[in-house]
Amino acid sequence: MSTPPVIRTLGLTREFAMGSTTVRALRGVDLVIARGEYVAIMGPSGSGKSTLMNLIGCLDTPTEGEYWLNGQPVADLSPDQLARIRNREIGFVFQSFNLLARASALRNVELPLIYGGVSPKERRERAAEALRQVDLVDRMDHRPNELSGGQRQRVSIARALVTQPALLLADEPTGNLDSKTSHEIMALFRHLSEQGNTIVLVTHERDIAEHARRVVTIRDGLVASDEAMVAAPPPPHAEGGAAAAGAPA
Amino acid sequence: MNPVEATRLALESIWANRLRSFLTLFGVIVGIASIIATIAVIQGLNQYVADKLSNLGRGVFTVQRFGIITNRKDFLDAIRRNRHLDREDARAVAEYVAGAEQVAWQVRSTADLEREGQELRSVEVDGVTPAILEIEPFEVADGRILLPFEDQRAVPVAFIGNDVKEQLFPGIDPIGKELRVRGTPLTVVGVATKKGSLFGMSQDSFVKIPYSVHRKIYGSDRSVRLSVQVREGEQMEAVMDEVRSVLRGRHHLRPGDEDDFAIVTAEGINNLWSSLTSTIFAVALFVVGISLVVGGIVIMNIMLVSVIERTREIGVRKAVGARQRDIVQQFLIEAVLLSCLGGAIGTVLAFGAAAGLQAVGFPASFPLWAPPVAFVLCTGIGVVFGIAPARRAAGLDPIEALRTE
Repeated sequence: MSTPPVIRTLGLTREFAMGSTTVRALRGVDLVIARGEYVAIMGPSGSGKSTLMNLIGCLDTPTEGEYWLNGQPVADLSPDQLARIRNREIGFVFQSFNLLARASALRNVELPLIYGGVSPKERRERAAEALRQVDLVDRMDHRPNELSGGQRQRVSIARALVTQPALLLADEPTGNLDSKTSHEIMALFRHLSEQGNTIVLVTHERDIAEHARRVVTIRDGLVASDEAMVAAPPPPHAEGGAAAAGAPA
Repeated sequence: MNPVEATRLALESIWANRLRSFLTLFGVIVGIASIIATIAVIQGLNQYVADKLSNLGRGVFTVQRFGIITNRKDFLDAIRRNRHLDREDARAVAEYVAGAEQVAWQVRSTADLEREGQELRSVEVDGVTPAILEIEPFEVADGRILLPFEDQRAVPVAFIGNDVKEQLFPGIDPIGKELRVRGTPLTVVGVATKKGSLFGMSQDSFVKIPYSVHRKIYGSDRSVRLSVQVREGEQMEAVMDEVRSVLRGRHHLRPGDEDDFAIVTAEGINNLWSSLTSTIFAVALFVVGISLVVGGIVIMNIMLVSVIERTREIGVRKAVGARQRDIVQQFLIEAVLLSCLGGAIGTVLAFGAAAGLQAVGFPASFPLWAPPVAFVLCTGIGVVFGIAPARRAAGLDPIEALRTE
């Protein structure tokens, strides 16, 4: 039995009303990402990659088109239903970490589990386990301002992992980090990918994107190119996904 | 998110901004404290008045030159119209009113007391017919009360309050000793049990002497106040009518003329008191209502500020799966907790104020139902004024919220 792709979109379109004119940020994106893939979405600013990321992350709904996340159609869900999907299926990693300043690392990592209705005891165990995965167990009682930038980003990765989501969605995860720390974080993503996590990385930096196994470039609201990285062998389930992506002229 | 979790979160947030939280709560604190303190005072006064009236005794009314007068015009009319009530009036009532069990009268004055060169200034010196000490009971600590024959024969004796004993006879047994009022020597025959002070004024600074002795010292141009005790089985109204017809006859009033004296009953005092305190209470409630509304608006304002400050946090919470009602719950609980915290502080302050008043002899009694009522009231304020900020927070677009700096 074949598992459904983590992401499948069909003609994904998003328009924004700007005064009297309508801006078409996405103009029909077809994208398939299979389980276990490690994909970078690249594009200059204004290309529509942030809009695509918001749609993929279920923070927004498309004007037109279809989107199946982990086999479930999510294009027409209500805000609260989307919240539930985000809680269960998606782990976000943000450029600016977005940790709660007053809460310890452990509390920050527990946050998605709180909204998922997990009991306090189990929550604590799972959060500690997630922090262990990012090698921060000894810092779990520290607050974000007591941690370095790299450590903060690792806390936020632990928060993304703690619900065991179908998809890790990272938005410019190294944007606020120096190059040495950036490499550590990218190594961590590589490691997580090797463990079987599905990762989508949104970035505008080519050398960061090249850590992924597949790079999808967005330009003017469409997929401009979709290439597998030669350096890395494609993961076992990736072939179907790569073949399905369109490449306009 | 479950409520326990939300409550913990709200407490963290309130504690993180504790100075601001406290200042925010000022309106609610003052409102709750003042309403409870007002209730404590009114309740205390009611208790006091009820005690006093029960002291006056069932089936007792008084007749006096002036009744309960609550405005200047009535007072001027009464001065012009009302004749003195004199001893002959009192004797006539005692003689002709068949429904009266006992009729007693008294007249009040203030004098300086003297004993062996010592002086005690401004003491209440009342001339009484001895029966009044039974109608308005005085407990005897030492010696005895005045006796009827002492009034009939104008025996110069005195029944004194505890203050007079302590100040004029320190460490001495006063019974049988002398004190002087306007140069007239009086022999002390009894000391009353200490009553304590009320509104900061001592209730033990008095000398009771026979009415006839008082008359010798001060003359006869003072109105007496009669206390009439109704015979058992008689209607109080009927006895009051008897008194009225006796006095009207003596004062030569024609039918249609108004009474030139006043009859005061415990019930009358009580009614006046109730209308007075309910007015005070209504005014207090109105003022406090305003301060609670202002307090609520301040809470709403600070919650709106808090929502703006925490826009990004709200974005993060939404991104990781908070539903609208989770966010509403979080901010609503925070508003309710803030408001209830204010109520709690206000209640404690009011309790302190009531205890302070009691300590200085003011009759205040802390109402035990006040804390739960304050709690309900504050919860209501928190919900009413917290719902708009909470809705605003819940309605934020997660993408916009995450983008906020």
